[in-house]
Amino acid sequence: MTTHATLIVGAGFAGLGTAIRLRQAGIEDFVILERAGEVGGTWRDNTYPGAACDIPSLLYSFSFAQNPDWSRTYSGGAEILGYIRAMVERFGLRDRIRLRTEVTGLAFDEAAGTWTATTAGGGEFTARTAVMAAGPLANASLPDIRGRDSYTGHMIHSARWDHGHDLTGKRVAVIGTGASAVQIVPELVGRAASVKVFQRTPGWVLPRLDRRTPAWSRALFRRSPAAQTAARQAWFWGHESMALGLVWDTVFTTAVAKAARLHLRRQVRDPWLRRQLTPHFRPGCKRMLMTSDYYPALQRDDCKLITWPIVSLSPAGVRTADGIEHEVDCIVFATGFDVGKTGTPFPIRGVGGRPLAEQWARGAQAYKSVNVAGHPNLFFTFGPNSGPGHNSALVYMESQIDYAVRAIRLILDRDLLALEVTRAAQERFNRRIQRRLARTTWNSGCTSWYLTDDGHNATMYPGFATQYARQLARLDLADYRVISRQTEEVTT
Amino acid sequence: MPRAHDFDYDAMLAKIKDRQWALADIDWDAPGADAVTDEQRPRLKEFMADLVWIENVGARGFAALAGKAPTPVLREIYTYFHAEEQRHANAELALMRRWGMLEDDEVPEPNINVRLAIEWLDRWSDDMSLAVLGTVIPMLEVALDGALLKFLLDEVHDPVCHRVFDKINADESRHLAVDFQVLDLLGHAPARRLLISTVGTVARPTVLLGALMYVPLLNRMRDNIVAMGLDERRLYTAMSRFTRVGERSPATRRLPSYQILKRHAAIVIDRGHPYHHFADFMVKASARYPRRLLRPTPSWARELTHEPVAR
Repeated sequence: MTTHATLIVGAGFAGLGTAIRLRQAGIEDFVILERAGEVGGTWRDNTYPGAACDIPSLLYSFSFAQNPDWSRTYSGGAEILGYIRAMVERFGLRDRIRLRTEVTGLAFDEAAGTWTATTAGGGEFTARTAVMAAGPLANASLPDIRGRDSYTGHMIHSARWDHGHDLTGKRVAVIGTGASAVQIVPELVGRAASVKVFQRTPGWVLPRLDRRTPAWSRALFRRSPAAQTAARQAWFWGHESMALGLVWDTVFTTAVAKAARLHLRRQVRDPWLRRQLTPHFRPGCKRMLMTSDYYPALQRDDCKLITWPIVSLSPAGVRTADGIEHEVDCIVFATGFDVGKTGTPFPIRGVGGRPLAEQWARGAQAYKSVNVAGHPNLFFTFGPNSGPGHNSALVYMESQIDYAVRAIRLILDRDLLALEVTRAAQERFNRRIQRRLARTTWNSGCTSWYLTDDGHNATMYPGFATQYARQLARLDLADYRVISRQTEEVTT
Repeated sequence: MPRAHDFDYDAMLAKIKDRQWALADIDWDAPGADAVTDEQRPRLKEFMADLVWIENVGARGFAALAGKAPTPVLREIYTYFHAEEQRHANAELALMRRWGMLEDDEVPEPNINVRLAIEWLDRWSDDMSLAVLGTVIPMLEVALDGALLKFLLDEVHDPVCHRVFDKINADESRHLAVDFQVLDLLGHAPARRLLISTVGTVARPTVLLGALMYVPLLNRMRDNIVAMGLDERRLYTAMSRFTRVGERSPATRRLPSYQILKRHAAIVIDRGHPYHHFADFMVKASARYPRRLLRPTPSWARELTHEPVAR
C-alpha cells in the first residue's frame, strides 16, 4: 500500500484549503477523504431556504483564492457552494478527492511514523501526516423533546433540508431561533399557510445590510486584485474591532446591546413581543444574529412567535405548557449541530493506541488549537479553542492551514518520524487560554453550544483574530519533540 | 419544612416537566355539563370570568419573576409556572364554553379591578423586586385561587370540572412549594440588605399604586363570593393559609414584604376593622374609574383560548 505524504479528512473549506496550500508549498502527494458524494461541507449540507453566511463574502473566502464576482455583500449558500466547487476545478483537486469514503478510525503507527485511516468501505489510507478537516458543524443535532417519535407529520432538519418536500400552503412549526432559524423563517412566511416559531431563548439581533454588488466594483476587483484585498482588509478590521464588544465584556458590549435594542424597537412595536424577543444575557455570550427581515416576518399575520415551553410532540403537532396543542403539517428543526467539545467524530488513536476521546472526555484541549500531545504529525483545523465570535472563520482557518503546511513541509524536508507537541507546552498553553477565557462574554453565565455541560469552554479563542494569527505565524520547535527517522531524538 | 438550601430545585423542575398536561387530555364533551343549573349560570359566569383573569394576571406575575430569578433553574421553573397559569386560564375558559357561557370565540371581559391589575402589571411588574413579587404572588395564589377553586368544587357537581381542578390544584401545590421556598431563601439575606431593599421598595410610588390596585381587587372578590351565596370565611381561611405556611420558616418571617402582607391579611380577615370602609370605598371608586383612561389591553392578555388544539 502506498504511503502518502498527507491525508486530509473532509472536503469542505478546511480540507480543500489545506490541499491548495499543500500544492502551493510543493507537496503534491496527498489524498482527501470525504464521506459525502460531493464537496462543500457545511455549505453542501445547509441548503435550507435563505441559507447565507453572516460574514461578508469578501471576508468569507480564502485570501489565496479570491473571487471578484460575489453577487451580494452577504452571498447565499448556493453561491458559496459554487465558489467551493470552482476552487476544486481551479486548483485541479478533483482527482485527489475520494468521495463516499467515510473515515471510521484514524490510528498512529509509532514505528513507521504514519497515520492510517480506515474507512467504512473497508479501505485503508496511510500517510506520514494527517489533517483533520471534518468540520465542527458537520453533525446535525435534534433536540431531546418528549414524544419526538410519535409525531406523524413531516420533519426536516435545517442542515439536511428536504427539497423534495414542498412547504407551500402547509402549516409549519419552526423549532429554534438561532442563526439558521432567523434565515429560514422569513423565507417560509408567505409561502407556508402559517408559520409558528417556537423560541426557548431569544438572541441578540443586529441588522444586516445586504446589498447587490454593483457592476463597477466587480469590474474593479477583476482588474485589480489589490483593490479587492484592500476591501477585504477593511471588512477584516471592521469585524476585528467588534471583538472589543463581543469577546470581552466591556462598555462596547453594552453599546452592542443598545444597538440591538434600538433595532428591536424600530422593528417591533408591540411591547410584549419586544419583551419576548429581548435576550437576558450579554451580547456575544451566544452567537450574534445578523438579520433585518426576521422581526418583520415574525409580525406578519400568518406567523406567530410562541415562547411557551415545548412539552412534547404529539402525533399531530407540538404541545406547549400553556396546555395547547399546535397542529402542524411539518416541523422544521433549526436546532443546530452537535459540536464536538468532548469527543472526536471517529476514534483517533495516537501514541500507545490510546483513544483521544479519553483524553478529551472532560473537554477538548490542544496546543494552539492545531496539535495535540501524544498525536504526532496530526493537525486539526477548527480544533479546540479556535472559534471566532466576531470575525470570519476562514481567517482563522487560513492560519491553521498555513501552520499545518509549514509543519508538514518540515516533516518531509527533514525526514522526521514524528513531530509531537510536548505535554508541558500544551498544558502551559491551555492554562493561559482558560485564564483568558474567564474574562470573556462566553463565560459570562449563559448556556451556549460554546460550553461543555460542566461549563468548560473548549471551542472559542479568547482574543483578536490578529492575535490568533500571530501565535500561529511561528512554528516554535522548542515546544515539540522532534524525532528524525535516521537518528534518535533530536534536541532542538 | 426543609430549609431553602436543602430544597432541590432541579428535582422540582424535573417533576414539573413530568406532570405536564394539555387541554386535549380532557374530554370536554363528556356527560355532566348539565350539572350547572340555569339558576347558577349567570353568577357562575361572572365568577369564572374573574377566575380566568386572575390566572392570567398570575401568569404575568410569574413572567416578571422569571426575569428576576437568581439561577437558571429557577428561571426555567418560573417560565413553566407562567405557562401553567395560562393553561389554567385556558382550561377554565374551556369549562365556561362547556357550560354554554361563551359565544363562539368569546373571551369574557375582565372586571375593572382586574383591568387595573393588568395595567399595573404590564407597566411596572418587571421593575419590582423579587421580594415584592415573590410575596404578592403566593398571596394571590392562596387567597384567590385557593378560595375560589374550593368554593367552585363545592358548588358545581360536573365531573369534568372536578377532573380539571384536580390537575390545576396539583400544579398550584407545586407553585406554592416553590413560592414559599423562595421566600425562605430571600429571608436568609443579611438584615442590612433586607432593610435597604425594603426602604427602597416602600418609597416607590409604583408600589403604592400597586397596593391601591390590590386592596379593592381583594374586596371585590369577596363581594363576588358573597354574591354567589358563599360564606366569605372561605376566603379568609384561604388567606390564613398564607400566614400558616409562611410562619413555619424563621427566614421568611424576617422578610419585611412578608410581614406587611401578613398584617394586611389579618386586617382583611377582621371584618369589623375600619380598613374595610376604605377598601369598600375603593371598590366603589374603581367602578367609576373612567374607562377611557385605561390603556389598550396588552397583547399578553389577549392570548387566552378555550380551543385545546390550535389549527
